[in-house]
Amino acid sequence: MAQPLFDYESHLEACARQDDRAFQALYQQEAAQMLGLAITLLGRRDQAEDCVHDAFVQIWRNAQRFQRALGSGRAWIYSILRYRALNQLRSRGRTVELDDDFIERAADDSPQAAELLEQQGEHRELRRCLQNIERNRRHPILLAFYRGLTHEQIANRLTTPLGTIKGRIRAGLRALQECLHA
Amino acid sequence: MITQQPAERRALIGEYVLGLLDEAEAAEVHELIEHDAEAAQMALQWQQHFLELSDQLPPQTPSAQLWQRLQNSLGLTPAVSRVNSWLAWWQSLTTWRLTSAALAFALIIAVLPDLWRTDTAANSYTVVLQAPGEAAKPGWVVHVDGSGSLRLQPLLEDQIPTDRSVQFWTLIDPAIGPRSLGLVEPGKPLQLSAEQIGAVQPGQLFELTLEPAGGSPKDRPTGKVLYIGRAVMASIN
Repeated sequence: MAQPLFDYESHLEACARQDDRAFQALYQQEAAQMLGLAITLLGRRDQAEDCVHDAFVQIWRNAQRFQRALGSGRAWIYSILRYRALNQLRSRGRTVELDDDFIERAADDSPQAAELLEQQGEHRELRRCLQNIERNRRHPILLAFYRGLTHEQIANRLTTPLGTIKGRIRAGLRALQECLHA
Repeated sequence: MITQQPAERRALIGEYVLGLLDEAEAAEVHELIEHDAEAAQMALQWQQHFLELSDQLPPQTPSAQLWQRLQNSLGLTPAVSRVNSWLAWWQSLTTWRLTSAALAFALIIAVLPDLWRTDTAANSYTVVLQAPGEAAKPGWVVHVDGSGSLRLQPLLEDQIPTDRSVQFWTLIDPAIGPRSLGLVEPGKPLQLSAEQIGAVQPGQLFELTLEPAGGSPKDRPTGKVLYIGRAVMASIN
């Protein structure tokens, strides 16, 4: 879980100076949350651990490329993790059958779902915006995020024509960015 | 061809971050992000927003082997990691890379301190401290006289933020790591006795780094290198 007090940027800059203690602190801070996402994307714990391993290797080796002017350190770390995970998914051609119930629930736009969201923490800007867009746009975005599916795979999963899915995702992201940058 | 229209471009980058694009499109956006700071910012902004979704997932504690594996992959095994990081720290300052001969020399000297001290008691040294990578920009000069006492003399006065201190370091043995020689006031000379600095060797590195107020919280530099240089023999008496 992100801790507002943890200074990801400074730790990455220390890694760029080959400070292995900063690297270890970063690992202790973030590895479990990263593994949670990797397991969700890849469906298998052993492969997810490989993915987190590879991501940290990249983080250590490329830390000097991180620039805090471009964005948050934590976002940078997850860019690397996501890239590794997607590559793993693509190279094995997918797909493990996974239980997507929780995505269904996340895509839920019932009043109860909205209320539940209201009760949860501070950092829910994106989720609030997601709740504001239509379910048929939200659901494919969540499938992409949590399962790393391509346009085509989402179209198959939702038995919806590819062009329609592409259009819905694009419209959904446009609506999200308007809401987020409003 | 990537759209120039900002909102469409942002959405496209969002699709890239999610991993939706096919290989050719993804390669194009990847290229854009590599070379366009604004596009890179957009990608990280999306990633930052999506962190809210990652944080919905329960954390999963990695197996204990994962960290060990990582240390092995990166050559960060505990016993040698300190030495490696010291070496990397100093060697990353490419202009001042120690030659292996100088390093070997320094290590031989390190195991023969008494012999060396007798032989070199009368040597004096000069170190010109320059901004890394800027050979024509000396900021400080160090003199070590025949008695072994050291004087650090400013050539210019740097403006340092009020919440920062300038710290003076030397590296004798990379296996031990840099040793602090204390804090320095910008523009003010510093005098150290032979006991405080120990025997100086040819090629020995000195540097000034920018640290948090009061000095580095660790027993090594943590901030930017302001000036660096190595000792050359000024005269043999």
